[in-house]
Amino acid sequence: MQIWLPFRRAASPTTARRRILPALATAAVTALALSACSAPTNTPSGPEFFDWADVQIAADGQTVKLWMWGGDDQGNAYVDDVLAPAAAAQGVTLERVPIADTKDALNRVFTELQAGRNTDGAVDLVWINGDNFRTGKQADAWFCEWTDLLPNMTLVSDSDPLLTEDFGTPVDGCEAPWHKAQFSFVYNEATVPNPPTTIEGILDWAEDNPGRFTYPAAPDFTGSAFLREVLYSVSGGYENVPSVYSDDAFAELSPALYERLDQLAPSLWREGTTYPATSEQLTKLFADGEIDMMMTYGPATLTALVENGTLPDTTRVLTVDDGTLGNASFFGIPSNSGNIAGAMVVANEALSVEQQVAKADPAVWGQFTVLDLDALSADDRALFDALPQSPVVPTFDILSQNANPELSAEWVPALDDGWRTTIAAR
Amino acid sequence: MSAGTTSVSLDKPVVHPPRRMPGDHGSPLTQSRGVARVLRIVSTALIALWFALPFLPLVLWSFANQWMHPAAFPMEAGTDGLTAAIANGGGLAFLHSLLLSLVVAVIATPLGAMAARALSRGHVRFGKAITVLLFSPVLLPPFAAVLGLNVLLLRAWVPPAVGVVLVLVAVAIPYTTFSMRAAYAAYDDGFDDAARTLGASSRLTLWRIHLPLIAPALARSAFLAFLVGWSDYLITLVVGGGHMITLPLIIASSASGVGNESSVAVLSLSAVIPPLILLGFIARTRNLDPGKQR
Repeated sequence: MQIWLPFRRAASPTTARRRILPALATAAVTALALSACSAPTNTPSGPEFFDWADVQIAADGQTVKLWMWGGDDQGNAYVDDVLAPAAAAQGVTLERVPIADTKDALNRVFTELQAGRNTDGAVDLVWINGDNFRTGKQADAWFCEWTDLLPNMTLVSDSDPLLTEDFGTPVDGCEAPWHKAQFSFVYNEATVPNPPTTIEGILDWAEDNPGRFTYPAAPDFTGSAFLREVLYSVSGGYENVPSVYSDDAFAELSPALYERLDQLAPSLWREGTTYPATSEQLTKLFADGEIDMMMTYGPATLTALVENGTLPDTTRVLTVDDGTLGNASFFGIPSNSGNIAGAMVVANEALSVEQQVAKADPAVWGQFTVLDLDALSADDRALFDALPQSPVVPTFDILSQNANPELSAEWVPALDDGWRTTIAAR
Repeated sequence: MSAGTTSVSLDKPVVHPPRRMPGDHGSPLTQSRGVARVLRIVSTALIALWFALPFLPLVLWSFANQWMHPAAFPMEAGTDGLTAAIANGGGLAFLHSLLLSLVVAVIATPLGAMAARALSRGHVRFGKAITVLLFSPVLLPPFAAVLGLNVLLLRAWVPPAVGVVLVLVAVAIPYTTFSMRAAYAAYDDGFDDAARTLGASSRLTLWRIHLPLIAPALARSAFLAFLVGWSDYLITLVVGGGHMITLPLIIASSASGVGNESSVAVLSLSAVIPPLILLGFIARTRNLDPGKQR
């Protein structure tokens, strides 16, 4: 008797389907690969605008995605609660994309450009400076020559070296200033009653108080800024260090730096056998009372950190006679953004007196303004003068006294590598 | 003479002993006694402690407004962390994460099950090569793979949300395939054959016999696929292009700063709870009584 086997059907439709499906799949993959290869990869230059009114018309109804480092709650709240409503009043929706590292935004832009997506990029605006700006500029990824169109740029000094060069890279209208920062040494008033007043004095203090001082390992942003501070100090001031990098200048000046740091190392936290990897870890050590002095390139956040109890009440910013490094951070617009006009409106709004005053309030964010205070009207100037004083951080004009310019970006990896081979490998 | 059979009451429910399946616990052969029993309990407790301990500071931080170094416990309790987590967009991110992970699980689980069934029954040519191919998304360094793949997706004008789901499904398939292969290795096709010889259609067999029998394995592999979507940072950010702000994005960006410990703790806890609940459900799944009349 023939048994009917349900699983051994020899019906033809199934076999036919078995042949068609792989063929279809292969065809689809080939088509995808071909379309991927044929796309052009030239760099876009973005739209052209004649005047500001032109920009405003184009911006109306656009949604701008601002990619910014999201590790600062105050900064996030300022953008969401203060800047975004102001942008909305001008017809632009501002959405924040929180990222752990600004390089994530650059990666997205580079990938889009590589894929030939030149007019509808997902990144409209980036909070940026220094190395990331330079990388983007080298890759022609920024929309340029747009800052002159912003009406509020007239409030910014066009001869301020902090704003015309970003870590030695000419800005060239490829980014609009947002705020300034000043490298600051921070100490605990309760444990350091007589703080030193110079960089050399800080190093001497560290040797007199073994284990109470350290700095983040280069290439951390703050750690490598500390190397530049000490380089200025051991060279007898920033005037003696040429801002443009050369092998000769490095060979002449760097040995004194590493010799000084080598001498200092045994007096550091854990005898200099290990260093905090990031400035966040350094701040944590200070917060936990393991060290009495630290440093930061973002003194703006200190007030809030003291208020919420992360840092002790006796935290104070140290002003040093030799002055410290200063820099500015900016808004960059990728050249392939689909909402360039909207991004320009946001950057312009962020430069307005109202926004800069609100942002400078330590209770809001405490970021130093980029506006030229001397060029403001008396009324506007009064708004800045009326800002509440932080008990922790001095005002910007005191903090930035005798401010040192940043070295060009090529210095940074050279100094970092030297530190790694001489100090870290001790 | 009255027939004895008439006295059988049909209303009385027939009590079957619970159906035993291979691997069900409680067999006298596998029960430990004496020292072995004590060792088993102690080691279980230690492992449970090892798993649970990291959550203790997380819970404490979640409700700590202030907690500085020398203090063993938070100095001031409160909900600042929760407020900050919500202000950072934690609520919406939670919903996005949930939706994304469910979509990934719903697509990757049946695909993995089908691949596993075909591979384990050996009617696939080049089975070994296909297995290696299926596992390649796990073997490649994710960063390189994602950046390269993203160029392709962008050139093909794949919408960002679809792209994220496509790539995450590809990452999840090795896990679902692997866990379903183990299930199919222990699965007896005789159940299906028996149902078909008794006249059940193939659809009815799948629905009433096959799926109920592999339900626990399906739940396990769906859980793995869910976790792939739930924990991803890189693909969601790079391929999604900021269109989809999920919980890992908020956690990573918050955790990269100082002084956000309590909001990061609240966000991390809220990221741990849904998988734990799912895990609880999976621990309870048994074979759904195959062939039951509903």
